[in-house]
Amino acid sequence: MRRLSDFTSGRQDIEPFTRDRDDVSPQSMRSIDGGFLSRLLVPQWLKRRAITVEIATPQTAYALGAQIPFEVTMKNRLPVPVTLTTRSPVLWTWTVDGLTEASHVELRDPPDETGEFSFSRGERKRFSGRWTQKFRVARREWEPATPGEYTLGASINVDTAEQDAVGDETTVRLVPE
Amino acid sequence: MALLEVEDLTVNFYTEEGVVTAADEVSYRVERGEKFGIVGESGAGKSVTSMSLMRLIEDPGRIESGEIRFKGEDILEMSETEVRELRGNEIAMIFQDAQTALNPVFTVGEQISEAIRHNLGYDDDKARERTIRLLDEVGIPEAEARYSDYPHEFSGGMQQRAVIAMALSCDPDLLIADEPTTALDVTIEAKILDQIEELAEEFDTAIQLITHDLGVIAKVCDRVMVMYAGKPVEKAAAEELFYDPKHPYTVGLMSSIPRIGDTRDRLQTIPGTMPDLVDVPTGCSFHPRCPYAEAACTRKEPKPVDPDTGMDATGTDADRAAACLAYTGDLAGELDYTVEVQGEDPRLQLGDHRE
Ligand SMILES: Nc1ncnc2c1ncn2[C@@H]1O[C@H](COP(=O)(O)OP(=O)(O)OP(=O)(O)O)[C@@H](O)[C@H]1O
Ligand SMILES: [Mg+2]
Repeated sequence: MRRLSDFTSGRQDIEPFTRDRDDVSPQSMRSIDGGFLSRLLVPQWLKRRAITVEIATPQTAYALGAQIPFEVTMKNRLPVPVTLTTRSPVLWTWTVDGLTEASHVELRDPPDETGEFSFSRGERKRFSGRWTQKFRVARREWEPATPGEYTLGASINVDTAEQDAVGDETTVRLVPE
Repeated sequence: MALLEVEDLTVNFYTEEGVVTAADEVSYRVERGEKFGIVGESGAGKSVTSMSLMRLIEDPGRIESGEIRFKGEDILEMSETEVRELRGNEIAMIFQDAQTALNPVFTVGEQISEAIRHNLGYDDDKARERTIRLLDEVGIPEAEARYSDYPHEFSGGMQQRAVIAMALSCDPDLLIADEPTTALDVTIEAKILDQIEELAEEFDTAIQLITHDLGVIAKVCDRVMVMYAGKPVEKAAAEELFYDPKHPYTVGLMSSIPRIGDTRDRLQTIPGTMPDLVDVPTGCSFHPRCPYAEAACTRKEPKPVDPDTGMDATGTDADRAAACLAYTGDLAGELDYTVEVQGEDPRLQLGDHRE
């Protein structure tokens, strides 16, 4: 995933915006909501790069069968509110080896409409989850994972081509006791 | 045809934390004039299920699938106008925070009269007459004088009674009462439940009563559905539920049974808490708290089945259902609890013989 250092080049892109903002009188500023302003002025590609996603687990190795807690941190690096348009009302997902919510079966059938994931200026959001070391193999059935290495991922639900920009991965090893 | 048939209702909330399935393939029915109870811990999906009947689920929630047939017609397919026609007229609802149903700037009597004029087409005098009779019936003393009081001049219990009067004013076929008495003190709670019952009988109104209190169910209901983590885990006639509970969660709910008004947290006896619905356990959602859980319970999600035959009982017709692997031959052990009836008291105590 992209780290902060990638972003320094983007700074110039923000500057004109900041200037724009200064031009607006405080009076009229109050009547324009920030989300609207950012939708208007911050291009989509920049908004995607503005949001960083990180997934982390407390340990890198776990005993077979143990619960694996993970924490997903998302941060808006821009000093303005940013709203990402997601492919469905599902705003973000976590995966194990690329399988959404560690499931081999499609669990969600979200409405056929886009969603909006909003971040206030500089906002950091934290979500915690856990993988129970099981894969869902049918609507009502799960199977335990075997020892080995697995990749946990989290990404915001934007177009696949852009997902790398707003996603992160980490690996864990499951070891027999 | 039952008055109300809910089939496979699924409601999701698309939150930032994740997708919350607050009602997960919920099916049940309410017959005409019947008193049907929905019981479960906070967050089980009782209100979401009830709000769905009135199509009152708000963003980020979506009624995603299922049918809600009222007198055979699917509410989910109706136009907004048709649904509005239904609300407050054929289906009335008393909310959890019932007092907010009263508008502070109009007198209590005026509000009820207005509802009657609007829904039943009565003229002013007749509506006033009916309102006073209703206020009297729900136990408001000096109803005629109280007609012109503002809501703030009523005590909490009286406000609640006024809300009940308003809900019943249009002679609904179905009254949805979502924890109508939780905000009240115990003596009033019992009285108000009596009144709801009496009035429902008098007007031949069916009631869907939502509560976290099995004592209330025992007092009022004919049939019951127990919900856990958005799913129906047991369905039974009220009496059967008390004398022969089939789901370990129901057993847990009962082990510190419900006296009306008992202020103890009744679910303390089941260790743990209900899962966060964005992170529901694999297999049976109740397994982390279940004293009878086995490995299978972490790997297979039980369907509602007839506990005697193990046959599928997911539909609206099922009168007896429990969603536990014990009834599908998937468990090695047995659920060995017994229910003891103490004396004349219809309340039950539970003996867990495992310890
Ligand atoms: N507006 C909402 N936004 C997000 N999630 C919601 C919303 N309303 C309900 N939920 C989710 O739906 C679940 C079920 O809520 P519901 O209000 O139906 O519970 P309940 O059984 O009525 O509980 P209580 O006894 O506390 O009234 C909750 O756990 C919550 O996670
Ligand atoms: Mg509720």
